[in-house]
Amino acid sequence: MDSTHRVRRRIAATVCAVALVFPLAACDALTPGSATTVPGPTSVPSSTAVPDGDVTLRLQFADAPLMVDALIAAFEKDHPGIDVEPQYKTFSDYVQNLKLTMTSDTAPDIAQYAVGMTDLAADGHILDLAPYREAYGWDEAIPPVSLDQLTAGQTSEATGGRALFGVPAGLSMTGIYYNKELAAKAGIETPPRTLAEFERQLAAAKDADLTPLGVGALDSGGLHLWAALLNQLMPTDEYWDWVNGKKGATIENPAAVEASEDMIEWGRKGYYNESANGTAQVDSTAQFAKGDSVFLINGNWAAGQLATVMGDNVGFFPMPGELAGSPTVASGFSVSYAVSAKTEHPQAAGAFLDFLTSPEAGQIISDNGFMPPNPDAVKKPTGVLADIAEGHRRAVADDGITTFPDFAAPAMLDRLRSGVQKLIADRVEPADYLDSLQDEWEDHHGE
Amino acid sequence: MGSRPPVRSREARKRWRGYVYVLPAFAVYVAFAVLPALHTAYLSLFEWDGVTLGEWVGLGNYAEIFQDSILRRSVFNALVLVVFFSFVPIVLGLLSAGLLARYRRPGMGAYRFLFMLPQVVPLVAVGVTWRWLYGDDGVVNQALRAVGLDGVARAWLGDFDFALVAVGLVGTWVLSGLCMMLFLSGVQKVDPSLYEAARIDGAGPVREFVSVTLPHLRGELAVAMTVTTVAALASFDIVYVTTNGGPGEQTTVPGLLVYRLAFSEGKVGLAAALAVVLGILILAIVYLINRLSRDRT
Repeated sequence: MDSTHRVRRRIAATVCAVALVFPLAACDALTPGSATTVPGPTSVPSSTAVPDGDVTLRLQFADAPLMVDALIAAFEKDHPGIDVEPQYKTFSDYVQNLKLTMTSDTAPDIAQYAVGMTDLAADGHILDLAPYREAYGWDEAIPPVSLDQLTAGQTSEATGGRALFGVPAGLSMTGIYYNKELAAKAGIETPPRTLAEFERQLAAAKDADLTPLGVGALDSGGLHLWAALLNQLMPTDEYWDWVNGKKGATIENPAAVEASEDMIEWGRKGYYNESANGTAQVDSTAQFAKGDSVFLINGNWAAGQLATVMGDNVGFFPMPGELAGSPTVASGFSVSYAVSAKTEHPQAAGAFLDFLTSPEAGQIISDNGFMPPNPDAVKKPTGVLADIAEGHRRAVADDGITTFPDFAAPAMLDRLRSGVQKLIADRVEPADYLDSLQDEWEDHHGE
Repeated sequence: MGSRPPVRSREARKRWRGYVYVLPAFAVYVAFAVLPALHTAYLSLFEWDGVTLGEWVGLGNYAEIFQDSILRRSVFNALVLVVFFSFVPIVLGLLSAGLLARYRRPGMGAYRFLFMLPQVVPLVAVGVTWRWLYGDDGVVNQALRAVGLDGVARAWLGDFDFALVAVGLVGTWVLSGLCMMLFLSGVQKVDPSLYEAARIDGAGPVREFVSVTLPHLRGELAVAMTVTTVAALASFDIVYVTTNGGPGEQTTVPGLLVYRLAFSEGKVGLAAALAVVLGILILAIVYLINRLSRDRT
């Protein structure tokens, strides 16, 4: 083949490619996302009257399938006309597809609240439930602090008060578990009342040749510890402003530097399990249950497993504050449910959400190892579950339940996880770590 | 070229008929490979969260890629992985081919089968298994402790200095067999009389390898280099299930970032731009490999 031929063909191919791309670029309708309509803020109707006739609600969720099944069964018994159809997805699958799912025409009527919901709420893809908060009197049934986690940082157009984009079923909270036998061996008698006392206990455990603190930093155990320290050092409202993306908020402050320095310091002193960065949270929990460390950072979701394996040998306390009189502050969230703006049955969905606040639902939630929003309505738990309930009660009373720091931006989880791994391994300056978080924050919340 | 017009037109018609035969395959290729690729390139010019209206940013995403230290680090990591995914397996493969080529023994088929085994296991299963092997109480540490090397034992995938090497060795395990198999079957094509001739001329094993085996493996070498290099640069599954990029950014690779940016961070445009850059980098390297390995005789 002669070369002019080849050149000519190459030119032809290039022209074809350009011709293909050009109309694409020229046409506005092909701008990605242009097919999606943005409904704008919308709220539920003020009436709570559940319609007559058969109604089917589709519920998409990612946590606690057994609990959801039990809740649905109990709800359907009370409301024979309403059929709730559960659609379970694994958590990562759920979160990654959440935006697509909720903006599609086939969005489920009810969906579990997760990280992307703030943006969906802003664009009006999920309903503002504030009118129901008043009509159903949810403020009496649920600690207001749990509802205030679900405002997406917005004011309700319907009521003028705080917006509400979900109703919690089970609540969660992080804190420190301790092995009573090992603690006694290290001369530790009672849970610490201050952060300084906790540090002395960690040192005592180290002196007794035990691993003081188990951390599963391969996934999120490390960031739970960092957030727990941050909760004690940073004023709660400033923390909320940052997580909610309020203009001017910053994580580059002295309190966050101190929390990060503490984490580095504890690593240098050998307080963590040696392979913290290579250990997943579930594995750190299993190791703690075997007696590998005196303390463990984790959430209440591990309590059922630990109580089964360790019985009375395990206790729990929320991370103590700087002073004995400091408020109890702990990070936590809830398994909550939001209502799609595309639902044809907002009242039926409202009835289901209201059922979640009932004592009957509370007992189901408690039986499944979660903390019900209204602890007074259920049987008193025992052992480590009682410790957690007590810690949660104190935190709620002190208005000290904060959300997890990764809610600050979609990419924050990765920044936090890798950053905290560096803190644990003493590979980063606190200032640089916080700078990387703030960069991500500005990337998401900047104009 | 012929000069008589009738012949020419018949030839031209024949050529066009050739295109018609190609058309169905070409249409499928365009619809499922070329257009998606162009669409990705097109998306890379937008800032888009995957849902709401995108915003045209031109080449802004590309500028961001070259400024972002994490993205640069990920490219560096991928290049390190090339050593473990490509270089080491090829050396091991050549070594085994060199050893087995000189004296034909029955049962070569069985070897090929054994070497092939890692290829039939899904990479996610490979990753999960290696995560256990590398774990605190995993087989690797048990073996080290058994021989008294307690001080060396660690959670390999959580160690800042060793995580990338540990991930790389998983790739070595997977791809060495492929290279060995390729080279062994290549060696079997070599006429045994060539070895005899070399031996009569007084060539030792090294000389035999360099003068007979290696030149005949040129084609297999090109295939092996292409496949393993692409596996390294586009690696995702092994990293995702073993370390998820950690600790820190020690094992973060571009493939992982494309996935994260697009599906969990809502930066589809940036992910598309990174995918385009990664694709161009891979194509350039593959082109280079093929250029270098082309038979010039």
